Amino acid sequence: MENLNLFIRSIFVDNMIFAYFLGMCSFLAVSKNVKTALGLGVAVTFMLVITLPINYLLETYVLKAGALAWLGEEYADVDLSFLSLIMFIAVIASMTQLVEMVVEKYSPSLYASLGIFLPLIAVNCAILGGSLFMQQRDFGSVWTAVCAGGGWGIGWLLAIVAIAAIRERVQSYSNVPAPLRGVGITFIITALMGIAFMSFLGIKL
Amino acid sequence: MAEKISYKSVFFNPLSKDNPVVVQILGICSALAVTAKLEPAIVMGLSVIAVLAFSNVIISLIRNTIPTNIRIIVQLVVVAGLVVIVNQLLLAYAYDVSKQLSVFIGLIITNCILMGRLEAFAMSNRPWPSFLDGVGNGLGYTIILVIVAFFRELLGSGTLFGCQVMPQWLYNHGYENNGLMILPPMALIVVACIIWVQRSYNKDLQDK
Amino acid sequence: MNKQSSTYTIIYIIVLVVVVGAALAWVATALKPEQTKNANADKMKQILAAVHCAPANNTLVAETFDSRIKGIVIDEKGDIVDNAVAFDVNVADQSKEADTAKRLLPVYIYSDDETGTKYILPLYGQGLWGPIWGYIALDSDGSTVYGAYFSHQGETPGLGAEIEKPEFQERFVNKELFKDGEFLPVTVVKAGQRPQGNEDYVDGISGGTITSKGVASMLDNCLAPYKNYLEKLTNNND
Repeated sequence: MENLNLFIRSIFVDNMIFAYFLGMCSFLAVSKNVKTALGLGVAVTFMLVITLPINYLLETYVLKAGALAWLGEEYADVDLSFLSLIMFIAVIASMTQLVEMVVEKYSPSLYASLGIFLPLIAVNCAILGGSLFMQQRDFGSVWTAVCAGGGWGIGWLLAIVAIAAIRERVQSYSNVPAPLRGVGITFIITALMGIAFMSFLGIKL
Repeated sequence: MAEKISYKSVFFNPLSKDNPVVVQILGICSALAVTAKLEPAIVMGLSVIAVLAFSNVIISLIRNTIPTNIRIIVQLVVVAGLVVIVNQLLLAYAYDVSKQLSVFIGLIITNCILMGRLEAFAMSNRPWPSFLDGVGNGLGYTIILVIVAFFRELLGSGTLFGCQVMPQWLYNHGYENNGLMILPPMALIVVACIIWVQRSYNKDLQDK
Repeated sequence: MNKQSSTYTIIYIIVLVVVVGAALAWVATALKPEQTKNANADKMKQILAAVHCAPANNTLVAETFDSRIKGIVIDEKGDIVDNAVAFDVNVADQSKEADTAKRLLPVYIYSDDETGTKYILPLYGQGLWGPIWGYIALDSDGSTVYGAYFSHQGETPGLGAEIEKPEFQERFVNKELFKDGEFLPVTVVKAGQRPQGNEDYVDGISGGTITSKGVASMLDNCLAPYKNYLEKLTNNND
């Protein structure tokens, strides 16, 4: 139940784009039409669901102060937390490569639609951000990490698809001042959506 | 070819005409989160300059030895290492600011400006121009951060660097701090305004 | 040498990892003492903030803390636990322990000539986005709040983050933890409302409902185990 709440909260209240503005670079670059936006959104969700639990296990059993206690008494004092950043990014980068290779081998059609996004993902702030928030908030179990990862991913997907849909309309139907065309107006739309999403803050879960 | 690049343009272009934030639209994530106050914005800017300059130099030095298929991982490891060092230094010598920046120091790793510059410049240029390119782009990023933070702190809290600058008589006449300015979405709107102003002057940057 | 061969790639990555790892380990060890000093000074600063005491710099903080504060650790019955150091107790872990009898409860006893003796109790709980924590200082009667300090990790600026502003913290001053001999920690309610019981209350932050509730449940959860100890203080005082 707790995890379900967290899942829903991660989608709407903790939304990676509208509440934290993470993953903006690829968000702005790829939100020009709905189809590619959907592809990137699915890829991000997928990577968050995979990397968050792995990083959680890494954090709890290897990196945290005293986490190596299971190796024996003498390791109880070891604190490797200064390595956590580099380990997280290494996990994310290698998972991206791994997934890319697996997908390429077994599902060429999926690779054709998703493949071009995978290299973009290693440097997507939303994925590393997810792991860092996980570390900061002290999650209770692997399942919490999976739920949060899924929620953040779906929230990100929702945001990029919504913005892509709006951008498509804006491009063809509205008369935006020339200097604001393109990114400028997208920034403003995203900000307004962010303010709208703040109304989810009051939801009791 | 590499010899012909003018050092001056390498350094000064990123400040305005080729600004990483408002023209290349890179590194937006952190630009928004840390700009509610001037002080963290400046520390963040300096951290990015340091990481960007040194990672550019390091990658440029080893650029001929890197195997192409693990290029991205090598770049990430170098950047991550530098970020961890910056983070440790801040924890040791600027504890309060590092507490405010929290996870966003870590997110420098995925700041697209870094990967963008490493791929586009450091991989094909010698160390000295790479260093200038890194500092220039870092400065371009910092300038935007400082402008955004200036407006957000001034209008949102009536302070600059934590000191009250909005005079009391304004408040007496019914002026109030705009609470909306310290919320993250307003940073986007301020950046959009900067883009608006810059593109009105620089017509060739406009989208068709 | 062939740069694209697997052997080269593997050797390259191993060398890279070793070099970076060694550099990081060296930096981390070299800066550790400075970092620990900062973290400790920060904690002391927060504890002193609960008794409205704000020394100018880190050296003064450490001096003031050492000269005016004595830390003890007690258990739920109110007896002193000998082999524990108050400053080293991890309040975050302790507050998550469901069985309150097992918790280690630090008390910081502050005393100087002007203000007299105050008892500072640590708090830890969850806000909307992440952890919130604080310190609450009680008068020597063990019931009247002398001061409070709250902080947070990532509450919304302008909304939940207002708990770290003095305006909010001042609202707790002079509230009572004991009402007619019954132990009822101060609660936080929406502005204009009243709690169901007759405990003392303060107005929450408008727009920061979940953070305000977090403060209320943090006070409940963290102060409850101190009941016996505070009762002893009250009785001593009579």
